[in-house]
Amino acid sequence: MRVETKLFFYLFLFFGPVTVIYGYWSDWKEPIGVTALILTSGLFILVAFYLWQTGKRLPVRPEDNMSGEIAEAEGNYGYFVASSWTPLWLAGAGAVMFLGLAVGWWLFIIGAFLGVVAVVLWVFESFSGDYSI
Amino acid sequence: MVAVGTIVWLSSELMFFAGLFAVYFQLRSVRTDLWAQQTEKLNVTFAAINATVLVISSVWCQLGVWKAEKGQKARTGSLLDIKNWGMREWYVVTYLFGSFFIAGQVFEYAEMVHDGVTLSSDAYGSVFYMATGFHGLHVTGGLIAFLLIIARTFTTRRYTHANATGAVVTSYYWHFVDVVWIALFATIYILK
Repeated sequence: MRVETKLFFYLFLFFGPVTVIYGYWSDWKEPIGVTALILTSGLFILVAFYLWQTGKRLPVRPEDNMSGEIAEAEGNYGYFVASSWTPLWLAGAGAVMFLGLAVGWWLFIIGAFLGVVAVVLWVFESFSGDYSI
Repeated sequence: MVAVGTIVWLSSELMFFAGLFAVYFQLRSVRTDLWAQQTEKLNVTFAAINATVLVISSVWCQLGVWKAEKGQKARTGSLLDIKNWGMREWYVVTYLFGSFFIAGQVFEYAEMVHDGVTLSSDAYGSVFYMATGFHGLHVTGGLIAFLLIIARTFTTRRYTHANATGAVVTSYYWHFVDVVWIALFATIYILK
């Protein structure tokens, strides 16, 4: 994952110094930009650090190997639900809840109940019954 | 896949809180008089105890993660045999500590409102409740996630890798929310 790590790390290398330059030029008296830039640097270093650590843990992937073959990339990539309607129900429940904020609390409560049902259905969809993973 | 997605989502969450921090610092820089007057109403000792509870809950969470990675979903010995606890027991303890934090925050809000600091009272009240409130909502979301993860250990026959991944990414989220609180606590209660 060296390419991915570098991609995010270079952005950190840019935003880190930019934060210092910005702070210096604004005499450290303008807090919004400094906060936003520090946390933007944090965003990139967080992802870069994670990718670096994950890359260390995993064996070299075919895409990192200059002489890698497409066939080497076969294998298990994780579990993906074949087809599921529950995200749609959850989104619908979320929409009803937000509409409830504008219309009235009674509608929000109805939406919240629908949301609970949708969340439980989604979370347990692949983790219950005979075909649980 | 799930872990990578969670990390990417958490870095976008970081930017969400960045906005709240920016609002806080901006208002603080233009209304130093208001800050001097309102921050005196904060109960720093109480908030420090509450923050400590949240930080400790992260430790229990991590102990649960190590059990999940070993594939041990529940305790093998008796309830008092802490060494042989599984992921489920540690996550229940984490849940209890997290709900203690939320209860403490509700208590703190009641005190602040009693002192006349409300969401609509002034700029300080707005940013105080916005920042701590959004964090509190995140903690509440984490508590719901813990309940679902604990419930999952009952519905599957075997504790699979997919199950453990769910537990691990929930811990990522919990640690993130914890770190955000350390920053918020330093900003609101120590830096003032």
